[in-house]
Amino acid sequence: MSEAPDLSENEALAAEHALGVLNARERADAEARMARDPVFAADVEAWRERLAPMLGEIDPVPAPGGLWSRIERLLPANDNGELLGRVRFWRNSAMGGFGLAAAGIAAALILVAQPAQVVTKVQTIQPTGSLLNASLVSTQGSKTQPLFIAAYDPDRKAIIITSLLPAGSNPQKVQELWLIAGKEHPKPLGFLEPGKSKVIPLRTDLAGQVAEGATLAVSIEAPGGSTDPNGPQGPVVGAGSLSKL
Amino acid sequence: MAAAVTTSDILTPLMTRIAAGERDALRQLYEATSAKLFGVCLRILSDREESEDVLQDVYVTIWRRADRFDSGRASVMTWVSTIARNRAIDRLRARGPMAYAEPVDELEIADGSDSAETLLSAADDRNRLSHCLGELDDRTEKVIRTAFFEGITYEALARRMDAPLGTVKSWIRRGLAKLKGCLQS
Repeated sequence: MSEAPDLSENEALAAEHALGVLNARERADAEARMARDPVFAADVEAWRERLAPMLGEIDPVPAPGGLWSRIERLLPANDNGELLGRVRFWRNSAMGGFGLAAAGIAAALILVAQPAQVVTKVQTIQPTGSLLNASLVSTQGSKTQPLFIAAYDPDRKAIIITSLLPAGSNPQKVQELWLIAGKEHPKPLGFLEPGKSKVIPLRTDLAGQVAEGATLAVSIEAPGGSTDPNGPQGPVVGAGSLSKL
Repeated sequence: MAAAVTTSDILTPLMTRIAAGERDALRQLYEATSAKLFGVCLRILSDREESEDVLQDVYVTIWRRADRFDSGRASVMTWVSTIARNRAIDRLRARGPMAYAEPVDELEIADGSDSAETLLSAADDRNRLSHCLGELDDRTEKVIRTAFFEGITYEALARRMDAPLGTVKSWIRRGLAKLKGCLQS
């Protein structure tokens, strides 16, 4: 096996990151790149998978007693169940409103686009920071049709977004979510799946830019997303600004 | 690597419950995996107290990110072990640029006979990777294993091996390219 072709520079970096030989600065750069470059992120993941079997050689060591109760105390009060519950509540109310306002107009789209129901445990909710919400309406034609419904949870620094597009639509393309704050270039936040809800945690620097009035937008891009550092390359199909309900 | 996935992954249903916010499911995952993950942290950090801190952080991370777990891509054990390893390396880096652990012990080559690995469902993968690592020259195998198990930087490896940085880097890059070729074949 002496004739293996060299790894491309990008893949070599991904492999080095997965192996863990990068220093603190390079490591932070690689992590940041994973967040904005899905191809690089996939390379890192693939290398982590390749190397992971070595973990099997590490002997287990019983964790100290009492550690579990420390962990349990650290679990955020607003856990995943609550978060998804909040989104579902918001989504249902938004869809109800839409139904009243726009009955008869493109209702078929919504009917086929019922997002998968998220089943969560019912829990007592302690309201904490207030959510910012945005309805991303079509930027083409009628401005009333919401295509995506989003909420930003300041406690978890995460955006929860539901795509109302029919599941499986346009599989050759990806939907990329953007944050547009002030005069900054749009910042890519991640990819959405038609018909699904997704929780997208934000990096601290991006979370700092989310405020009432900031815009969320979705563009349709080739797989891998926009390669333009200044923003979307494909058409923007939906946009809306964040506000408190 | 699809082979990391087995139908017998008994931990997978726990992940769905954790993603739905069930604390009891996280506790069950903790019971099933904490010894393994503590071993991973200790191996990299060689410090019990720091390893405890990291382990705590790892389970809070799992709690927050359980919705991102994709059973089609990795087994639960691989997924959580990778989080533990990454967090331990982050902590190691935070010690400072020149921090590097002294070798804990001579790198042992697993004899493949230990029974503690029943939880790691990817035994075939492990054998295949072991085989491919064994195909590398001894020095390259050793440097890749040291890098993996101790999570130390190129700089620290070069110092440890008493070799120039660029040389160590090229050993590793060539070794990884060969490894990939071997795993694909």
